[in-house]
Amino acid sequence: MSGRLSWCRPVDGQEQEIAMSMSRSPMCTPQEHLWSRRQWLGKAGSAVAATTALGLGVADSIGVGTGSGLATAAFGEELKGLDKQVLFVWIDGGMSQFESWDPKPNSQFGGPFRPISTSLPGVQLCELMPQTARQMHRLAVVRSLCTQDNSHSAGVPRILRGDPKNRGVTYPYFGSAVAKLMGPGSSNLPPYVWIKPGSGGFKHENAGFLGPKYGALAFGDGLPPENLQRPEMLTEDAAGLRDELRQLANRRYLAGRMTTNTEASSAVFDMASSLLARKELFDTSLVDQRDIDRYGAHEFGRHMLLGRRMLEAGIRFVQVTSYGWDTHGDNFNGHASLMPRFDQAFASMIEDLHDRGMMDRVLVVCLSEFGRTPRINGQSGRDHWPESWSLAMSGAGIKPGVVVGATNEKGTSVSTEPYDIGHLFHTWFKALGIDSRQTEYDNAGQPLPIAHDDCGPVADVLA
Amino acid sequence: MFRHGMFLLMACLWPVWSVCAAEGDRPLWERVDALILAKSDGELAARGTDAEFLRRVTLDLAGRIPTTDEVRDFLADAADKRVRKIDRLLASPEYAARMRDVWHVVLMERLGDHPEWLSFLEQAFRENRPWDQTVRQILDPQESDESLRGAAFFWTKRLENYGQNPVDYPALTRDVGRLFLGVDLQCAQCHDHLFVDTYHQADFQGLSAFVAQTFLRTDVKYPAVGEKPVGSKIEFTSVFTKVSGSTGPRLPGGMEVEVPSLVKGEEFEVPPDKATKFPGRPKFRPLEILAKQVTANEQTNFDRNAVNRIWFSLMGRGLVHPLDLHHPDNPPSHPELLELLTKEFAGHGRDVRWLIRELMLSETYQRSGRWAGARVQSGGKVPAESSYRVAIERPLSSEQLLASVVLATGEPELSLLVLSPRDKESKAYTQELERFRKAFSNIARDPEIEFRPSVKGALFLMHDAEVLTWFQPSRSQTVSRLVPLSDEQLADELYLTVLSRLPDDDERKTVQEFLQAEPEQRAVRVGHLVWSLVASAEFALNH
Repeated sequence: MSGRLSWCRPVDGQEQEIAMSMSRSPMCTPQEHLWSRRQWLGKAGSAVAATTALGLGVADSIGVGTGSGLATAAFGEELKGLDKQVLFVWIDGGMSQFESWDPKPNSQFGGPFRPISTSLPGVQLCELMPQTARQMHRLAVVRSLCTQDNSHSAGVPRILRGDPKNRGVTYPYFGSAVAKLMGPGSSNLPPYVWIKPGSGGFKHENAGFLGPKYGALAFGDGLPPENLQRPEMLTEDAAGLRDELRQLANRRYLAGRMTTNTEASSAVFDMASSLLARKELFDTSLVDQRDIDRYGAHEFGRHMLLGRRMLEAGIRFVQVTSYGWDTHGDNFNGHASLMPRFDQAFASMIEDLHDRGMMDRVLVVCLSEFGRTPRINGQSGRDHWPESWSLAMSGAGIKPGVVVGATNEKGTSVSTEPYDIGHLFHTWFKALGIDSRQTEYDNAGQPLPIAHDDCGPVADVLA
Repeated sequence: MFRHGMFLLMACLWPVWSVCAAEGDRPLWERVDALILAKSDGELAARGTDAEFLRRVTLDLAGRIPTTDEVRDFLADAADKRVRKIDRLLASPEYAARMRDVWHVVLMERLGDHPEWLSFLEQAFRENRPWDQTVRQILDPQESDESLRGAAFFWTKRLENYGQNPVDYPALTRDVGRLFLGVDLQCAQCHDHLFVDTYHQADFQGLSAFVAQTFLRTDVKYPAVGEKPVGSKIEFTSVFTKVSGSTGPRLPGGMEVEVPSLVKGEEFEVPPDKATKFPGRPKFRPLEILAKQVTANEQTNFDRNAVNRIWFSLMGRGLVHPLDLHHPDNPPSHPELLELLTKEFAGHGRDVRWLIRELMLSETYQRSGRWAGARVQSGGKVPAESSYRVAIERPLSSEQLLASVVLATGEPELSLLVLSPRDKESKAYTQELERFRKAFSNIARDPEIEFRPSVKGALFLMHDAEVLTWFQPSRSQTVSRLVPLSDEQLADELYLTVLSRLPDDDERKTVQEFLQAEPEQRAVRVGHLVWSLVASAEFALNH
């Protein structure tokens, strides 16, 4: 583990934040910013890097008539049997650490809300999350995050990709990484699903250089994808016959060819079929009314409940996103309205995973792309703040009932060992039983670490 | 490393490209092959079969798979048939429609379409208009000519604004650089590019000074772009260095255009008219200069970008790749080849049809997509795409896919329309095309470069209630044609119709076994066979 993060300087004022927000480029996409000159240097590296940076992928194996032809990771194969799963709760826009995990009552920037006691003696959370406070003995909270990007457009992918060292490739989102390293598991359902408001579809871009098949299948507004329902004119038997013939045709076509495209084609049909087999997951009439009441009938509550059902069905990685947390204006009324819905659904989820005995196998992570500024701006809002913020974890591999790290009195900087997202990727992989030091991606022959080389896991939160 | 195939090829080509003194005497396609061979780091795949060639060339030039009759005729045809086929397709009206579809997707990136824009493009390719002329007509649209004015759609679609979102001028600037000069200056809007030394903020700003005055005209019904009078330079400051600058219109690496200072009231060549709401036509029009400068002879970026994109559309990978990142640190895989194509394209009046014909005549284009046995022979080392040692698989566009599915299934109504570009403009066809686009096209602004199948597309083919009927015996003309045949004939006809090739013995056997497993369901089972081949990767790719 490196020493104090070089970019994490204790600042009391807001100068740095202001300077950073000036440097925001509204048009630069993160992918382009991840490109380094390195990828163009050297003859061999350039072709690989140039294609993979765009997620084109390069064939990593050739099928010679065997039909097996499926590319496999050179490493991490043995992990695929493990039954660990992930629930990744993404609070998009930036939850305020002051109004949640790291309250600073009676301080200059503390805001109007009071802290409350929790089920973990000596630990307080913001009063806006009373139900979560009762689950605190099952959670691990890190209050010493210090990350680097304070714009949404760069911060979201930076956090979700774990901000590894720039090697001229676009790294996968955590969900795609887990899909690649651990596979779909015995459920044979899509390994990485994403329940989100708005539109759904297949989000290839999340997979970076791993290639489109490790992207997320997004259930927009929690709905199944269009055409999931099989029309009556096609019987189940007929559909099965068709699909067998299609698979046979693909195996034959592969003979003597690059496998990438055929695999991608097969993967989407396979996913469609496995999803179809579990279409009852989307049938809201099967949901217990008591659960709806507990999680909340609102969007996030419905999506978290669907997320729990997806986890119960055995899906490897379930991401649930809540939008609308970018409270530059009226932060306090904003959080007063957002937090109770979050609190209700999140606490119910922790409770249910525990009651169902799933805590041993499901890693729960809840975070945003950054926290919010200590300074309260002219619109009673808080702006973007990657300097000192918090996240919560629970479940598989995580020590229950622990708070790690602290910020200073005003909450303006981290006063203990600061952690970047790279540390958390190591932590999460470790919690899932993946040795993030030994395991590497094989990007068409280029070995790539799965998490930032200079970081290590946050030992204090690991069970 | 040089195995027999390699020696044979060398033996064939060597005398030609070593003895021949005057390079220019040799056809371009031969020189293409020689340059690819010269940089090859291993075996080349064999020449593709006739069936492989026919499917590839028909998809590329007619935007569809060949009909069963076309396959049968071509397989039975004699010598020189490949060049004759290329010429016939290039002369067909389907060629212009196919090029329209290709360039529509390249230039509009699924932002939307407009009948006048599409007909402008189609006519340009029908007349084989020099590419520089077409681009001038796009960049500086002439509303006085009804057949040309649709070209303004390139601008007008990008100048629309939605809700409260302002017009995205930076994106417009970026697109002009990317699509016509092959440089993506996006990351140089607010500062010099971090990783590309030659992309400067001043380049982005200079390019933006050509377009900042444009607006969407609302006084006419057809697509029309207006220009406000320009009186000053664009001011900008680097967010990193805080160094400020100012610039008039200037192409990357070019000379700044002087902004004339005009007396107020005298800015217009044709003044605004309140009665007709005509916004006026300024004397100083940056679009006019942009159109001239981008396509000027000394602007080699323009030709290089054009040939690189045409090469990509036929070969599956740009000589410079990504296509819009031409810069010194991202050199072409074959620099001499790119320079040769660029020079020849300019020297041949920027004749797109000629360039396509030359590229298609090359062995590089006609190479097989199969890399049979190579794993055993050379340790399984996969040839890099950029070596062009094996044909690269390319995705079918939604347009190619619909036309091909219609031909494969023999859907009765659409198959009457699919072979004629005029009929494809009918409502019945375009409505179906919209559904295919929704299922299979990339989202707006996402260039269609690599093969990216989706669960959405798979579910559409599996379950869309309309498309499923195309495989039913009652509707599919392919099924009704096949059912009465003997099993063996049926297998041949099935593969000729759907995959444009004959089946091998294993495939024949599968067909026979599958049909005999349930003879009373023969027609339904033929439908299953057709579906399985349409849903296969082989069908979804141009290989």
